[in-house]
Amino acid sequence: MPETNGAPKIGVYVCHCGVNIAAKVNIPEVVEFARTLPFVTVARDYKFMCSDPGQELIQQDLREGRVNRVVVASCSPLMHEATFRRATAEGGQNPFFFHMANIREHVSWVTADEHKATEKAKALIAAAVRRVAFHEPLEKKRVPVHPHVLIVGGGIAGIEAALKIAEAGKKVYLVEREPTIGGHMAQFDKCFPTLDCAACILTPKMTQVRAHPNIKLLTYSEVESVEPYDLRNFKVTIRRKARYVNEDVCTGCGLCADVCPVTVPSEFDEGLGTRKAIYRPFPQAVPNVFTISRRGTPPCQAACSIHQNAQGYITLIAHGKFKEALDVILRDNPLPSICGRICTHPCTVNCTRGTVDEPLNIPGLKRFITDLFPDYKLPTPTKERPEKIAIVGSGPAGLMCAYELRQRGYKPVIFEAQPVAGGMLSVGIPSFRLPRDVITKEINRLKEIGIEIKTNTPVGKAITLEQLRQQYAAVFIAIGAHVERKLKVPGEDLPGVFGGIEFLRRVNLEGPFNLGERVLVIGGGNSAVDAARTALRCGAKEVTMVYRRTRAEMPADPKEIEAAEEEGVKMLFLAAPKTILGNKETGVTALECLKMKLGAPDASGRPAPEPIPGSEFVLSCDAIIVTIGQVPDIASLGERLGLETTTWGTFKVDDVTLETNVPGVFAGGDCVTGPDVVVNAMYAGKKAAISIDRYLNKLDMRAGREREGPYRTEYTIDTSGTPLQKQIPMPAIELARRRTFEEVHTGYTKELAIAEAKRCLDCGICCDCRLCATVCEAKAINYEMKDEIQEIVVGSIILATGFKLFDARRIPRYGYGKYPNVYTALEVERMTNSAGPTGGEIRLRDGRKPKAVGIIHCVGSRDRNYNSYCSRVCCLYSLKLAHLIKERTGAEVYNFYIDMRVPGKAYEEFYDRMLEEGIHFIRGRVAEVTDHAMTPDEEGKLVIRAEDTLIGVIRRIPVDMVVLAVGLEPQADADEVRRKFYISCGSGGFFLERHPKLAPVQTFADGIFIAGACQGPKDIQDTVAQAGAAAAEVLSLIDRGFVELEPNTAFIQEELCSGCKTCIPLCPFSAISFNSDKGVAAINEALCKGCGTCVAACPSGAAQQHLFTDEQIYQEIEGVLSYV
Amino acid sequence: MSEQWEPRIVAFFCTWCTYTAADLAGISRMTYAPNARIVRLMCSGRMDPQFVLKAFADGADGVLIGGCHPGDCHYQAGNYKALRRYTLLKRVLTEMGIEPERVRLEWISASEGDRVQKVMNEMVEQIRKLGPLHLEKAPRRTAAAQEREREAVGVSSQGGAR
Repeated sequence: MPETNGAPKIGVYVCHCGVNIAAKVNIPEVVEFARTLPFVTVARDYKFMCSDPGQELIQQDLREGRVNRVVVASCSPLMHEATFRRATAEGGQNPFFFHMANIREHVSWVTADEHKATEKAKALIAAAVRRVAFHEPLEKKRVPVHPHVLIVGGGIAGIEAALKIAEAGKKVYLVEREPTIGGHMAQFDKCFPTLDCAACILTPKMTQVRAHPNIKLLTYSEVESVEPYDLRNFKVTIRRKARYVNEDVCTGCGLCADVCPVTVPSEFDEGLGTRKAIYRPFPQAVPNVFTISRRGTPPCQAACSIHQNAQGYITLIAHGKFKEALDVILRDNPLPSICGRICTHPCTVNCTRGTVDEPLNIPGLKRFITDLFPDYKLPTPTKERPEKIAIVGSGPAGLMCAYELRQRGYKPVIFEAQPVAGGMLSVGIPSFRLPRDVITKEINRLKEIGIEIKTNTPVGKAITLEQLRQQYAAVFIAIGAHVERKLKVPGEDLPGVFGGIEFLRRVNLEGPFNLGERVLVIGGGNSAVDAARTALRCGAKEVTMVYRRTRAEMPADPKEIEAAEEEGVKMLFLAAPKTILGNKETGVTALECLKMKLGAPDASGRPAPEPIPGSEFVLSCDAIIVTIGQVPDIASLGERLGLETTTWGTFKVDDVTLETNVPGVFAGGDCVTGPDVVVNAMYAGKKAAISIDRYLNKLDMRAGREREGPYRTEYTIDTSGTPLQKQIPMPAIELARRRTFEEVHTGYTKELAIAEAKRCLDCGICCDCRLCATVCEAKAINYEMKDEIQEIVVGSIILATGFKLFDARRIPRYGYGKYPNVYTALEVERMTNSAGPTGGEIRLRDGRKPKAVGIIHCVGSRDRNYNSYCSRVCCLYSLKLAHLIKERTGAEVYNFYIDMRVPGKAYEEFYDRMLEEGIHFIRGRVAEVTDHAMTPDEEGKLVIRAEDTLIGVIRRIPVDMVVLAVGLEPQADADEVRRKFYISCGSGGFFLERHPKLAPVQTFADGIFIAGACQGPKDIQDTVAQAGAAAAEVLSLIDRGFVELEPNTAFIQEELCSGCKTCIPLCPFSAISFNSDKGVAAINEALCKGCGTCVAACPSGAAQQHLFTDEQIYQEIEGVLSYV
Repeated sequence: MSEQWEPRIVAFFCTWCTYTAADLAGISRMTYAPNARIVRLMCSGRMDPQFVLKAFADGADGVLIGGCHPGDCHYQAGNYKALRRYTLLKRVLTEMGIEPERVRLEWISASEGDRVQKVMNEMVEQIRKLGPLHLEKAPRRTAAAQEREREAVGVSSQGGAR
């Protein structure tokens, strides 16, 4: 036993705490017992040990040498440990020669039996006596308190506290997650009981916050994390969300909101009004600047390989802004009239509307715009560069690459082997889907901006690849995939057997020719469908598609399959060609097929077709078109510059840059991927252009390219309540006319396009049309803005995060969300506000003034099913609303209450006044709100059914409007927030104060305070008072300048440490390091916070914790078990 | 043990959550079984499994450990460390022939006074069902024995050999 202050002489002092302890614990018996314990020299009891005379008893014994260690058996150490340590110190001993036995909270208050309580008290005292004998003198450490303050939440509590602290000359950071400060109070019209205007008393304070030199206002910002900066202060990381408007430049003029085409419900008006995607919650917002709501790239745009901004042009079409829509389209896509017709539209596939009814016809809308402006021009390059780039192939990949390079100032030259430009667009896609003049016009537009296209110039024959490489700064190879794959069955070379692409190319270049009456098309892709429909237009009477799997596995676009069937194409599934029958003279006469069945999934994930032996059957025919895929014609390039290829016969390129193994030579499109859709070829062209630009500027070709190409958005859209309306079909020519090469679909009219565009759900909110930027004179709008992370160091934090309203939908019998004229109180509050959605008029959804209004109290409060607590403000605000409704509309107002709870200065008087004004009060909880009429009076009304407990009858009161006095709840993320700030939540989920009476704004975390409704429901008066109290706590801390820390740090006894390093990774504060000279662990006392985790883990007992050494705890264990 | 046998329980509570909750139970006058005696620790991470063994050796029939809910630890992750040790300890106890149900780990936050009451009562009932713990009477560590141990490893400061 350490004898740092001589042999232990322990004094035991047992407190009666009035009757709190004495009534349950036999004090004389306990004192007598204490005297028998080892080393105890004095045992006394006193009525209140914490009183001055009580403490004097201890001090006297210490001073006069009767004791040198002290045990007080009284309340919890969390209550009075500091008091008695001080008494011990004042008696002349180190304050840590003291220990406390908690015989009130843990004994007298929780034990029913007096004898058992006395026994338990004895055990705890025995433990304390044993323990204190092993105590050692310790010093408290002083740590400076950083003078800066963080306040979280810009409602009235945060505003008030910020102003108080700033006025005292201290620096305050006020963080608010909404775009403006003001909180709920800014939404109120009048305040009870004085009926003064909320805005009139709040907005001057908001302005003061903005103007105060000591307040740094961080709106639209959230605290990301709070970490210890040192033993007492905090390092706070704040995310400043991108508002896409430069706060320092915006003048708040509002021109942007005037032109913004996106309208969404206004949160500030509780959804009764609307706002634009670029908005300011209310005119007096602080800061008085705009914010753009952007949820992120919409799913349609994200899914598009070239990220065409579909939501942008769709929203503009919905508003009839067609020219602006064209500008948005041309921002990303130089071939819109082609894409509008034949793109396989991953946008539509991913359209959120598809989860409601049907997706939007996005390409159809794009086509509508390009049809409307047939003579549109592509943007001309704004700069010129000398480098010429060779592009091999004029398909969509080559054209896109040329366009992107041209926009960057380069001079692209395209080499095309065919007599026409366009690649597969021109030779592979039939003109009834994509008219030739559409392609020609599109290509001419590209030529107009300076792109050179050399047709009939096959690379490998007319010019060699090597020559291109020498004469041009870079080469992009996009030769597509034009070589047909063969069936590899007997008879494939008979006359009358065509490759699909060969067939389509011939029709496209030379015009239709006679195939015979019966044509079979083998394959199930888009080209096969095109070939089948083209065969019909060549005069075939009967066209049958033969596919070896079923319709579900067909890779072709379902709409194209449907169109083909409409035109008369027949489908034969689960059949595979075995032999082509016929001879050289007659040509093909029939096809022998095998029946198939679906087996286990293959590499593509689709079930593999398996032949059924002996199931052969014969189809007679005049021609067969085999369309089972293509490969690139790499051999046509002649010498290949040593370009590497894959086993699939495609070029091998870097996935990110599309560069081949030869520097400066890039490849993309079908010749790399195998046959693929137009938009993916365009994507390759764009990607290659970016790489070539970087290559020529000697920049990193790989950096920052993660978000190129399609991806899925991560957010979800709430589509509930969207009225159903299916996709508007695009007009088409009648079936009878579909035997010619006339374009099948004729395109949307203006009216149809607007109607279709209006189905858009505005997934991204802001549609990125950028109209606002065109009108912003201050040039404040910046679409490239990113969230910023800011780190600050503060010594104190006040949480003033407020409340959220109870969701009235949770009580279905009150009809909120079902009957349109059932409102929440805050909605009516917004209606009463002259700046609100109705301009201060209280009216029903149909515009009528209500003649009778029922206000239902305690919605979600004082109800065990929801919240058992009283929300405190509802009675008063219900009275206020009753007054305002009666004043504005003259309606009869009925208050349905359980109890009127109106304690507070001038509150009862306000209630009296309402009684005199003739407001009706019915005592009883409302059973339900219904529109079921039982008498003619009730027709067309909402009926409130409630028991009137004062007269003992069930009443039915017909009214026009029902107002639900919803209660106050903790913020939805209160639990997450309190974890961030190391504090707790109490019952009901509100932040827990350190003591309900004596420390209402303190928390258990030092330096963190709470104020306002985040601590529990309260009115503005109490909120402001708490804000002041929190400010006073903070100021007192800052002015003292330091705090004293409990000296319960861990330490290493080096002679016991084996250097095993077990403790090092366990320390959450990285306070432990390894002293390699001595081979032992070392604890940095300035970082140790005293949890003791390392101590518990130390296998050799070398790590110990001051105030909680192993021996002290062992003694305590022995003590509590020494049952007497 | 005669019919007067009463379960002896030692409770180790972290000061931030469970000890505070026990105070709250007191302030709220929630009566519960008096069998458990509470030892205050700064964190459940300080909970050395040997405290449990020591308690059993010294006559305890059950041990209750209380810490903050996962994610709530005042020291970030001490409660997770406690959980790890607790899980391992239960296996060791089984090996030693002690029913693992004699040890219980509970997460009780500072506002859950009612939970302290409930857990305390449940714990007493649980141990009552299991009956007294019969260990071979191990010699109690006397102060003199401890001093001898300390001398044996050549340490004179406090804490030390176990």
